[in-house]
Order: sequence, then C-alpha cells, then structure tokens
Amino acid sequence: MNGVLRAAWRVGAASARGRAGRALSQAASESGGAEGGGGGSGSREAVERLVRAHPVVVFMKGSPEQPLCGFSNAVVQILRLHGVEDYRAHDVLQDPDLRQGIKNYSNWPTIPQVYLNGEFVGGCDILLQMHQNGDLVEELKKLGIRSALLDAEKDQDKK
Amino acid sequence: AEGPLARTIRTKLTAALQPSHLQVLDDSPRHGGPPGAESHFSVVVVSGRFAGLSPLQRHRLVHAALSAELAGPLHALAIVARTPQQWESDPRAPPRPPCMGGSKHERDAA
Repeated sequence: MNGVLRAAWRVGAASARGRAGRALSQAASESGGAEGGGGGSGSREAVERLVRAHPVVVFMKGSPEQPLCGFSNAVVQILRLHGVEDYRAHDVLQDPDLRQGIKNYSNWPTIPQVYLNGEFVGGCDILLQMHQNGDLVEELKKLGIRSALLDAEKDQDKK
Repeated sequence: AEGPLARTIRTKLTAALQPSHLQVLDDSPRHGGPPGAESHFSVVVVSGRFAGLSPLQRHRLVHAALSAELAGPLHALAIVARTPQQWESDPRAPPRPPCMGGSKHERDAA
C-alpha cells in the first residue's frame, strides 16, 4: 500500500513541477493572527457553511488539480485512490481570513484539514492512517460513497 | 546537531507525554528551507498516554504540548502517535509526502 502511495505522490509532485510557478516570499507564517472578523470569510458562521456544504470538504494549499503542498497533495491522492473526485476543496492560500478562520473553527493548527459530513476528521496523517486501516472505506460508506478500492478488491477476487 | 526548536519540541513532548520512544526530525531542508530553518518537523511519539484515544485525540495532545511553537515558528508538524504495544508490533513510520514548495507559493502579506 505504501508503494501505491509513493507512486501517487510522484504523480502529484510532477504535475506541480510542470507549472511555471512564481517565486514568492516565504514571509507568510502560520502564526495566530487576528480572528476572522464577524461576517468575514473566516468567521465561524462562514466556515460552518463551508464544512456543511458537501459530505467531503477539504481545506488545502492549492487545488486538487494543482496542490501546492506535499501534505495537501497526499489528501488529494488518497481521496483519488478511493474514487472520491466530487468534493469541495478550498485553497487557503487564496484567502488569509479563511486560513486563520478554519484553524480557529477546528482548533487545529495546520493545513490540510478534512471534514466528513461537516465533522472535522483530521489532517493528512490521520487520513493516511484511516486509509491504511480501512476506516476511510467505512466512513465513506456512511456518507453513501462507495470507495473505488472495494471494486478493485472485487476485481482481484475474480482472477 | 539538534537546533533549539528541535530541543524545545523534545523537552515539551517528553514532559507532556512521558514517551517510551520519541523521534524529532527537522524536515525543513526537504521543504525548501535553508539548513537550520526549523520550520517543518515530524515527530514519532510512543506513549502509554495514547491508550484508548482516537488518532484525533492523540494528535490534539501533541498539539497542546506544542501550542506556543505552533503559533510561532513551527509551520508544519507531521505526527505518528502510537501506544507502546502498537509501536512494538509495527516500529515504522509511514513515508513522508514530498515537498511541493508550498511556502514559495504564498502571497506576500498585504
């Protein structure tokens, strides 16, 4: 299973390198700044709306098509392995208020963040663990999503 | 040699979780930082205090021990959190995702 993951990460990394990227300053830090303002994109209400908008919601750096961080890419690749392509992804690099607001909302200091059915599940490490121990297949099933890995296993059984 | 932030992480995790095994790795050079940047870390924490806790709860314990650092220079933290029994049956950490230059893509602060 780790071999599959390493291959998937190479795919994501290659697509990112293929882009002409602007070299920007590394100034922006993850440190706690001002709380998301009332009604702003980082407010509790705004974040709540986002996490409830779809069964699978991801806050990441970059987009599923072009992840800009190895950990965010890992989340995208894991979801892809399970055949989950229809989900909401929010690029926190595009919205500093959201970036801080999502951390306040979940009381979780880092990006990426994965929400299933409006509930915070964890970051890349936890999603990887859930993928490896079968929990992710079960959680997706509860959302009415059939993991592609179940079909892959069925195909193998038929051989 | 371990940098100051690595030592702080080690000290705080030891105090908070009394780990039987603790590994603190500065991954910053793999994420485009200069040597000694101390911005991205991965930790392997093996502690009986994790027994009965979900992965989320375990990670929150680790975050709580390092809340000041996470509000400051600690930009990213990869965590492996296992009980001693779990570590004994599988003493390996999963492969780390490769860097994709994320911090180089951030906008300048307005």
